[in-house]
Parts: sequence; C-alpha cells; structure tokens
Amino acid sequence: MKKNKLTIYSSSMKMFFIKPITLMAIAMVSLASCSKILDVKPEDELDESDMYRTVYDADAAVIGIYGKFVGLAERYVLLNELRADMLDCTLNADENLRQLSSHTVTEGNPYANPRPFYEVIINCNDVLKHFKIMRDQNKLKDAEFQQRYADVAFLCSFLYLQLGIHYGEVPYVTDALENINDVNDASKFPRLSFNTLIDSLISFSTSVTYKDEYPTGTNLNVTVDGYPTNKWFINKKVLLGDLYLWKGNYVEAAKWYRAVMETGTVGTVNGSYYSMYKLGWDSNGDIDHYITYSRGGDVSTLVTTSQWRIMFEQTMSSEGFRREWVWAIPFDDNFKPENPFVKLFSPIGGSYLVQPSQTAIDMWNNEQQKPSAATNTVPAIPGAPYDARGQLSWKFINGQPVVMKYLYNYINNSTNLPLNVLQKESKWFLFRQTHLHLRFAEAANRAGRSRLAWGLFNSGIGGAFPAPTSNVTEYQNTLKDPEPAFQFDARNSGNSGVPYYRADWYRNIGIRSRANIVDYLVNSADSIGSIETGLINESALEDGFEGTRWPDLLRVAMRRNDPSFIADKVYNKLKNSGVSSGAASEARRKLMNKDWYLPFVWK
Amino acid sequence: MNYKKDIMRKRVYTILFAGALASIGLTGCKKWDDHNAITDDSLTSTLFDKISTDTSLSRFAELLSKSGYDKLLASSKTYTVYAPDNAALAGLDAAIVNDTAKLNKFIGNHICNQAYLTSTTSATQRIAMVNGKYHNIFGTTIENVDIKRADLRAKNGVLQVINKMLPALNNSWETLSTNSAIPSAQKNYLLSLFMNVYDTSNAIQTGVNPTTGAPIYQAGTDSVMTNRFWRNVYNLNDESKQYTLFVLVDTAWNSETKKFSPYFTSVDSISTASIAQWHIVKDFAFEGVYTQADLPDTLLSKSNVKVPIDRSSIVQSITTSNGIVYIMNKMAVPLANKLQQFVIQGENYSGTSVDKRSNTYFRDRYDTLTKRDFRDVLVYGHGVSSFAINYRISDVPSMSYKAYWVALNDFQTASFTQKLAFGVPTSTALAYTTVSPNIYSEVYIGEVKVDSFKNTLNVYLVGAANTTAATNPLVCDYIRLEPYFK
Repeated sequence: MKKNKLTIYSSSMKMFFIKPITLMAIAMVSLASCSKILDVKPEDELDESDMYRTVYDADAAVIGIYGKFVGLAERYVLLNELRADMLDCTLNADENLRQLSSHTVTEGNPYANPRPFYEVIINCNDVLKHFKIMRDQNKLKDAEFQQRYADVAFLCSFLYLQLGIHYGEVPYVTDALENINDVNDASKFPRLSFNTLIDSLISFSTSVTYKDEYPTGTNLNVTVDGYPTNKWFINKKVLLGDLYLWKGNYVEAAKWYRAVMETGTVGTVNGSYYSMYKLGWDSNGDIDHYITYSRGGDVSTLVTTSQWRIMFEQTMSSEGFRREWVWAIPFDDNFKPENPFVKLFSPIGGSYLVQPSQTAIDMWNNEQQKPSAATNTVPAIPGAPYDARGQLSWKFINGQPVVMKYLYNYINNSTNLPLNVLQKESKWFLFRQTHLHLRFAEAANRAGRSRLAWGLFNSGIGGAFPAPTSNVTEYQNTLKDPEPAFQFDARNSGNSGVPYYRADWYRNIGIRSRANIVDYLVNSADSIGSIETGLINESALEDGFEGTRWPDLLRVAMRRNDPSFIADKVYNKLKNSGVSSGAASEARRKLMNKDWYLPFVWK
Repeated sequence: MNYKKDIMRKRVYTILFAGALASIGLTGCKKWDDHNAITDDSLTSTLFDKISTDTSLSRFAELLSKSGYDKLLASSKTYTVYAPDNAALAGLDAAIVNDTAKLNKFIGNHICNQAYLTSTTSATQRIAMVNGKYHNIFGTTIENVDIKRADLRAKNGVLQVINKMLPALNNSWETLSTNSAIPSAQKNYLLSLFMNVYDTSNAIQTGVNPTTGAPIYQAGTDSVMTNRFWRNVYNLNDESKQYTLFVLVDTAWNSETKKFSPYFTSVDSISTASIAQWHIVKDFAFEGVYTQADLPDTLLSKSNVKVPIDRSSIVQSITTSNGIVYIMNKMAVPLANKLQQFVIQGENYSGTSVDKRSNTYFRDRYDTLTKRDFRDVLVYGHGVSSFAINYRISDVPSMSYKAYWVALNDFQTASFTQKLAFGVPTSTALAYTTVSPNIYSEVYIGEVKVDSFKNTLNVYLVGAANTTAATNPLVCDYIRLEPYFK
C-alpha cells in the first residue's frame, strides 16, 4: 500500500515539470506556422469555394433554395388568407394570428418581421452570383446556366411580389449580402414603393432570357420519391403575367398567361392536348375535376371519390394532377420540412388554429347549381341552392368547421379519421389552371374582351360565342381579334355539322360550368366592373384557401382606387366572427384609409 | 520521506474540520426546530379533538362518540364537519339518539369528504355527505342553515359550526313511497311501474355457453329492478341531483285520467287508463328545485309539454333530501299542450313498397317563403302503380288530425297526384290530392281519425295508381299532422 502511494506522488511531480514545456512547444509551433496551418480547408464541411464546381452542384443549390422556400408555406397561406375574408381564427389561435386577422398587427408580432422572406432572397442572390461565376469559369454550359439562373431569379421576384403585397414599401436587394441585417440599412437599400417595386421586378424578370420549364431529361425535371419535380419550380410566365397584371398592362399580362394556357398544345393531339391548362374535359373523373352527381338531381350522390375534390388528394404523378396544377410542392413524411398545414387546419393531430369564416361559408351557400340534364325518362330536376365546392373545400368534423383542401392526404374523406396520425402529408398548392384562366380573364376583361372573359369563367369560349346553326365556322371563336393573345378557336361542329371542326379549345367548358354552377349574371350598366367582381368572386369559390384571396382583393381595390372593395369584405368577416363591432369597424376604417400593409419591423 | 508528516497533518485537519461542522450543527439545531415547529395549535389537533374540546359542541361530540364517527374524524383523511351547537341539538328526537341506524344516518349527514371553505364556495355546490346524501353549500350557508363560526381548521379538515341541525330527510322517491301524506292513486300508479331489466353490470358469471361462447350468469344477478319512471323521466332516487315532483290528490288524478282517457283508447278500460296515466304522470317531474316562492306559472317538461302551475292549488309541500314534492288538488294540463302535432320529414322514410333507390332523388331546395334551404325527397320514373313511401310515427293518441304536406313540384309543369294513407297503403280514407307546380306552402290534405292509441303508426305517401312517369311521381318536404279538437 505504502509503495503504491509513493509512486503516485512521484509521477504527479513529473507531470508538473512536463506541462509548461509542452505548452511552450505548442505555442512556438503555432506562432511560427500560423498562416499556413489555418489555410487548410476543413475536412468535414464544404467550403464556399468548393460548393459550385459542376452542374450537379448548381442543381443542389437550386434544390437548396426551394428547400428553404418551402419553409415559407405556412406564412404564405396565413398572410394571403387570414388577412382577407375567407379564413378566420379558431378559439385556439394565439394573439399573433388574431392580430393578423383583425388588421391590428403590432411591432412585436412575428408576422410583421419580413426577415424569413429576405433570408430566402439573400440566398437566391448568393446563388445567382455564383452561377455567373460558374459560367464565367466554364463550369456551367450556357444553356445550363440560363435554365438555373432563370429559375432562381424568378423565385426571387416572386418573393419580392409577396413582400410588396404585404409590406408595401420594401428594400429591393439584389446583392448577395454577407450580413443579412444590411437589408434594413436604409442608406444602402432605400425602400421602394409597391409600384416602383413592380417596375423593377418587371425590368429584371424580362431581362432574364430563359422563361420555360426545365427541359425533360435534365436533372431537375425527373421523378423523385414518386414526385415529378417539374411542378415544384415556379412557372416564370405566370409570374410575368402576374407582374403585368399588377402593373395594369393587360395585353402583356394576357400574352404571358396565354403562353402557359397553351402548354399542352404540343405533340400528339390527344386528351392532354385538349385539356391540359385549358379547362377541357376528358371524360375521366380523375382528370375532369367536375362537380357532379352520380345521379343528377340526387344531392346525396355528390361524387367525392374522384372529380373536383380529388385534385387535392390525387398523387402528384397522376395525369389529373399534371393537367390541373401548374405549381405545387409536396410535404412528405420522408423528407423535411415538416408539413405545417396539419398544425394549422386539422382538429385531429393538429392545433386547429384557423377555420373557414362565416363569410366564406355564406359565399358558397349563395350560389345556385344547374338543374340536372333532362333525359328521356326524367325531366330536369332543379339544382341545389348552393355551390358544392364549399362542401368539398371545408366540412364539419366533430362539429367544428375545418378547411379540408390541405388535409385530404392526411384525413380520410369518408371516415374523417387520419390515414395515419403520424404521417402528416400534404401539398402546398400555389397555382393551377383555374388561377390561370381567371387572371387571363381579368386581363382580357380590362383589355376590352369582356365576352371572352365571361366565357372563360362561365360556360367556356364556345358558350360565350354560341352558334345559331350547325355551321359553326363564324362562331365559337375569336380569331378575328387583332391581338394574337386573345385569339381562341373553340369551334366544335359536332358529329353532323358541316364543315367539320374540332378546334384546339373545343373542350374548354368554363370554370362555373365545371363546378355545375349557373352562369354569372352581368350587370349591363357596368359590364367590365361587374365581370371583374364576378371573376374575383369566382376565384374565392374555386380557389378559396389556396393563398390568393388577399392579393386578388388588393389588386382590384388598387386598380379601381376603391378601398371599400377590400375593407367591406374584411369588415363582414370580422363582424360575423365574434370580434367586437368596434374592432370590426376599426379594421374597416384602417383599410378604407388604404392602410393595407403590415408594419415592416426588422428583427 | 515526509509523507508521514503529510498524513498526520491531514488527520489533524480532518479532526478540526469535523469539530467545526459539529459545533455548527449543535448551535443551529435549536433554530431549525423553532423554524419547523408547528406553532398553530389548530394544526396539531384532529377534528374530533377540536370538537370535543369545544364546550359549545359537547353534545355533538357525545353523539359522535356514540355513533362511532369519532374514529372517522380522528383519522388522517380530510373532512368538513358541519357541527350543530348544543342549543341546536337540544330539540333532537330521542328516537334518533336511541336507534343506532338512525343516529348514524343523522350524524353522517353533517360530515362530508374533502375540505370545503366558505371563502371558496362562491357558486352553489352540491356536496356528497358520508351518509350518501347531498347538501347544497353556498358561501356561509349549507341548505338553509347559517354557518356561525366558519373555516375552523384542524389537522384533518375544516370545522364549520352551525346553529341548526341538518336532519337526514328521505329523498323524493322514498317520500313518495313511504310518506303517509302522499295521495294513494298516483303513488300506486307510479309504484306499479317497477320491472326487472336485464343488466349484467353486477352479474356473477358462472360459466360460458359451450356453443355460443356467451357468458352464463348466476340466476337472479343478471337483472335489476327498476322503475319505468326512473328510466324514461327522472330517477327520483338519485341523491346527487334535485327534482320537483307534483302529486295529485286522488280526485284530481281521477278526473285527469278521465279527461285524457279518450285519447289513449286501448283494448280495455284498464289498459286505456294505464296509458293515459303514463302520459299524465310523465309531465309531473322537473329537474331542479322550485320552491313555492319561485314556482313559475308554467314549466316545460322533459317531453316538451307546457305544464301550467297554479300555486293556489298546492295542498302541501314536502322538502326531501333531493328536492321537493308538492301535493296538488288541481293540475290541469290543457289538451292542446299534451297532444302535440307530428311533423314527418319526407326524406326520413323507413321504407318503400319496392326498392326504387335509383329513381329516388334527395334534393336540397330553397324555400322562397321561409327563405331557408330544405331537403326533400322525389321519386320519379319508378314505374310502379301506387308506389308507396312508408313513414313511422310513435305514441299516437287516438283522435282526429288535420293532415298537411309541403310537396314542391318544380321539376315539371304538369300537375300530378299523390295521397296519404294511414295504417295500410291501400287505405282510402284520404283521397288523392293534386300537386300543382311550384307551390312552396303547406297544402291541406284532409282529416284523418286514429281510432285507438298506437305505439307505432304507419303513414304512407302513395303515388298515383298508374305507371306513367309524369303522373305518378312522389315528392315531399314534410307531412304535418295537427291534432283536431272538435
């Protein structure tokens, strides 16, 4: 025992002498070789200079940008819907959401902070900078560069448009900033008014030469985990159409929208040719997306296992999805980020923070369906006094009104129970053919093509220009329009008509027809204003909760210089939602003063 | 080799340190005791200690000891004791004191589980006492008794001193069946409603049926004795709730029976009276306590009948442990209140004469008169002569009714006919009625007489006696049968 203790003591004494020597040695070595040692690149992290070497790195950067962009899904839906009149807070909603809904957002509210948008924007700018370097160093072929550069550039512009819509005056930053807080430095980046911002975005976007989707066969247009990636990326022509529509350049806007409407008009003449983005029928419930009853006249036979509802549930790889949706991004259990929509909307497995407003419910209830078609055995039975799209956009689950569009991949529509409680799958719905047609019609209407606009959202082009005889040559078309963007050929001679026609647009049926709703009645005293109001109303009925309501209202209010267009609708929502009448009036007063924007509070 | 010195030094330090610690501990001991000591005397004694040392509660303490509840109050569970003082107990009936069962019931009526402070009962609370009864407490009152000295704390609960005793009353059902003041006719009727009902919640399983796998229960344990009134109206035996019950004196009971008997005619006079009496008595109990002062002039019964209450007709009122029983010399419910209309929704049918689901249309329509949406049923092109939709209504009094329907013919311009049939679809009591286009209002169909009381009555909507689609459709929003008093 004693010996052991002795050894311990002596060894510790040795240590005492070694330590200072070692330390000194280390210090000397490090002093002498400081610069060279630190220049060694880390082995477990990717250095910025090594990030962009091949086209695959460029692809990874694009995917990375979109990965970050998906994080804005929740914010996108809340800002665009909760601030408008169709989405309302539930009892579970916190103060921040209530402020958003009642237009009383204070400085401490996280939704007043535009930083999440700028984080993606600055990333976009950084990627764009490096893409240029890659092209200059011949690491990217020119075509590869053009495709990827354009995609990121347009996504960046899309974000700026969103910022403008919600914050009004915003700094327009196109540099790749080292420090993101420079965004808030007014000396470096003065804030542009919304109108100037749109001008800047138009001039930047039009300067980008490539405006198509990624070509088939490129690495970014493939199928991953059953998801065709081409629907993930922004449609550049749609954004250009939007920018021109906001600007009030209606012919330009129509041109760009029209280009997208003709996406399917290529190759073999088949169902896709006639129906993709054309709102055309294809005699297939998974593709047509009608509101229909398996026996017309019997409301208990509303088709829910295919047709209109299924577009929100069907897989992204299905043909019906491909022909309907222009832009949608999946939330899958197998990859990040987590789906925010179950949390927002679902009372089962989620927090149920928002619900359809009474105003939205009333909008669907104030429509009238078409009578059933008379047959040899049954006369026409009058249609139900509501729009069945409402029943498929929201429903009562355990007595609570629930927005269903985002939940059909999570909650089984027939049982109202989750398919799998923990697998919270969904899609972020950004844009589809009905948005496209409604906005094209909005532009066409303002460009003096009111009848064409009316046809697109009611009973189709053919329905707007009906033929009195079986010779349809001079009807069912707008080919005499001097502007090519407005020239449509929807001629359909039927089987017996002479001459025989099956024109490109002959299957176009119109949005309200597809939803089995009677035509919108136009007030002839102000047909342009009346059709425009009808178009915005239709957008609510068809595309409600899909994140376009606030921009739709704002765009028209600004165009007409009529703040009541937006203020009265928000007032009605608040009045019906249990907010005090004083608070509802206060929101109305604020919006009537054109105080439409969130405070810009950088944090 | 100086490590030995080192060790020595260490030992010295250790001893010194230990000594220092010990001295701190010694000097601090007293202070900690002071800090932790129970200085509030009330927390050192149990509820029973507290009661027995209080001279004004000596009588109650005596009774506690006699009943054995003293041990309960000396235990470690938490109680609230509402202790009547000696003056309050002076009038206690010797019969209670001398009967152990009665005494236990009486004393148990003053003790409840859990601690209830007067300061925290700002809303009326109904609390369970250890004898199974309940009392309402609110602030410094329990039932109608004031708490004179409130919230006296003890180790195992709270003591409230009251200046009146809380007698253990019978509940409403016990009162009904045992109180001699209760008139016999209605009481006998209610007591005749006892029946044995299959209920396995307390059954003893003795085996398993080898063929079906169903459990076999010991005879007599698989059922419970219950009363139809408890099951279909209110269980007046339930101490946790409170009820108001009205009992008619025999003459009034008999005259009401006589008044309603024509509407419940059955195979013989005994059955008729029995059915009539059930329909009288089912509207005589109400949830909640209505004291004489706050009895409204009309009460709405569980089966939605408006019952007029005339306070001047009260003969006697008996307070019970779960409510109040009024003996009335008159309580005449008007015929129109008791015999109500039937509204049959067209789309809620129970069958059709032939399966024609593929010709049946459930429609949502907008009523231009009521400005509301409604759902109706249309059967078109069924190709069946005299096609019939069957509805069932239950508990139908024997009397005349005026029949109406809303039948919206908005699907063709031609009129067609349909009719109502009662009992069997071939009944011709009511003639075919024309359904003209676009009539949203009620249409009078005719008068129908139901001869005897029906537990279930079949009502048929019958189409025209031909197979032509345009002339034999059936359409119906609702059918309404309005009682008709001649």
